[in-house]
This record gives sequence, structure tokens and C-alpha cells, in this order.
Amino acid sequence: MNAEPDDLALDAPPALVEGTARVVALDGDRVWLEPEPRSGCGSCASAGVCGAKGIGTAANRIEARRFPLHDHLGLTVGERVVVGVPENALLKATSAVYAVPLAAALGAGAVAQWAAGSDGVTLAAMIAGLALGMLVARLGAGRLGTRGDLAPRLLRRAAPGETCERD
Amino acid sequence: MQEYVLLMVGAALVNNVILARFLGLCSFMGVTTRLDTAIGMGLATTFVITVSSMLNWGAQEYLLDPYGLGYLRTVVFILVIAAAVQFTEMTVRKVSPPLFQMLGIYLPLITTNCAVLGVALLVVEGKMGLLGATLFGFASSVGYSLVMVIFAGLRERLALADVPRLFAGPPIGFIVASLLALAFMGFSGISTH
Repeated sequence: MNAEPDDLALDAPPALVEGTARVVALDGDRVWLEPEPRSGCGSCASAGVCGAKGIGTAANRIEARRFPLHDHLGLTVGERVVVGVPENALLKATSAVYAVPLAAALGAGAVAQWAAGSDGVTLAAMIAGLALGMLVARLGAGRLGTRGDLAPRLLRRAAPGETCERD
Repeated sequence: MQEYVLLMVGAALVNNVILARFLGLCSFMGVTTRLDTAIGMGLATTFVITVSSMLNWGAQEYLLDPYGLGYLRTVVFILVIAAAVQFTEMTVRKVSPPLFQMLGIYLPLITTNCAVLGVALLVVEGKMGLLGATLFGFASSVGYSLVMVIFAGLRERLALADVPRLFAGPPIGFIVASLLALAFMGFSGISTH
């Protein structure tokens, strides 16, 4: 009996969200990578070098996001590589960081408005809820990090002209 | 309660930020080539629009209105939005550095998203209370995210379709966006908000 396409999809490995990065330093068997910025125009490879460097610039933000990975490809400084993160981990991460604090703030605001009926009290309750939500998000993110779900994987060398945007 | 539900349905579907008010069109066309980027951008924007709606309401109520500084509204709102984005970025970095590496790239883009400022100005125009303003901001951004995700899904399918060369890329994207806008016009019968 032939397998349906959906059955095959269930057996497939988890989908990866891919991005491109550049090797900026070598450290024993590890490489330090700098992610290439994503832009709406699809010219991510050039976006990191089109602005001046300094506080608050795109280049400065990218420098702050360098990360190390185990090198199993024998890379050299300046090479571009493709790294991937499991798609479901990305969804869990975004939910943990944004949805939890937002739900806590809105919930606290609704309860305060119902109980006190004053905008000042509601504002204070929303800010407190947001702070509490951030704390819960920190615990959730810490658990995801401990399990290693958020660690990017080194997939392959980037082909010439390959960018983070799919055509 | 019913008032808030109608307000949210109206903000998310009937007067959708992208398809009815035509705000945030840059990110609508630019960040929807992939579903994962659309989801990331949508969630980050939802967070920032909701938080900045709340803070902008506070600035309007406790600073601009009492001191007669209404003419500074746009400047103050832009400042509050930029501060909210910066605060969010710092918090995400503090909460989890790996998450910041994955998600942080969307945040600077939001500062220049006109949908954020547009929603804040609509809140003032609507003379809403704090909870109403925050829920309006939340529902508007949920509507924004919904359209982003639908459009990204359609564009991912379009990438596999046999589109005539003349229409390939942005042209067929605009045609699909117009059909999506027509579909959303169907919601205009639901509510008068």
C-alpha cells in the first residue's frame, strides 16, 4: 500500500529554521559565528556592511549576537555557513518570551479593572503583571536552554550568493 | 464585557491594521517570504504594540492632556515606542541570551513600523479607557499577525506554483494581497466599530 504524503511528513525529521552566519574567529575545535542580519529586501549578506559602525547601528547589534559552535566542517575565518534551529523550538521560544508576559499583563489588568475600576490601579496592575510574566518567561526559557532545544546547529557551508531569504 | 469583545473583533478583523487601514505594509510585503519570519515578526509586534498602547495611554492621560501638550503627541509617542522596543530588546537579552540570538533581529524593525504609531494615534482618537486601549492594541496586533501568517503561507505556496514570468515575485504577491483584502471586506458586516 502506498503511503500518503501526510504519513510521510509525520516520519520526517523536525523542520529547521535556517539562517546564514559568518565565521569571525577560531577557538580550538569551536568557531565563533556572527549572524547575518535579515532584511526585508533579501540582501542580508550585504546588510551588515552597508551602515557605519557604532552604538545602536546594525553592525553593532550583530557584533553583540556572536555565538560559538562546534566545528565539524574545518572552517576558516571569513567563510559563510548555514545554521539551523528546530522550528518547534522557535515557536516555543517566541511563546515563552512574548505570550506569557502579555497574558499576565492583560489578565492582571482585567482583574484590577473589575475589582477597583480605576485606570491608575489598572495601569499599576498591568505593569506588575508584565514584570511577573517576564519572571515566568525567564524560568521557561531557562528550562528550554537547559534541554538544549535552543542551540543552533551547524548545517553546511553557504553557497555563493546564498542568503537567509528563500527565493 | 460585550463592549470589549466587539472592540477586539472590530480591531482584529473588521478594521484590520493591514488590509483595512493600510498600515505596516512594508513589513507585510518584506517579511512574509517565509512563515517562520512572519510568525516571529508578528509575535514581537504584538508584544510591542500592546505594551506601547498601554504606555502611550499613560503618557496621553498623565502628561499631554493635563499640561496642554497635545501638539507634542506624535513626538512623545515615537519616543515611547522606541523606549518600549529598547526595553523589550534588553529584557529578552537578559531573560535568555540564546533567545535573543534567535528573535532579537525583529525588534529594531518594529521601531519604524508605522502600524505601532498608527494604533497609538487611533487609541487617542477613540477616547478609550486604559483597558479598552490595551485590548484595542492587542486585538489590532493579533489581526496584524494573523494577516502576516496567512500571507506568508500563501507566498510559500506561490513559490511552488507555476506563475508566468511577468507576474513572478512581488506582482503576484500584490494580486494575492488584494484578494486577501477583498476576503477581509466580508467581515465588515459583523460590527460597526
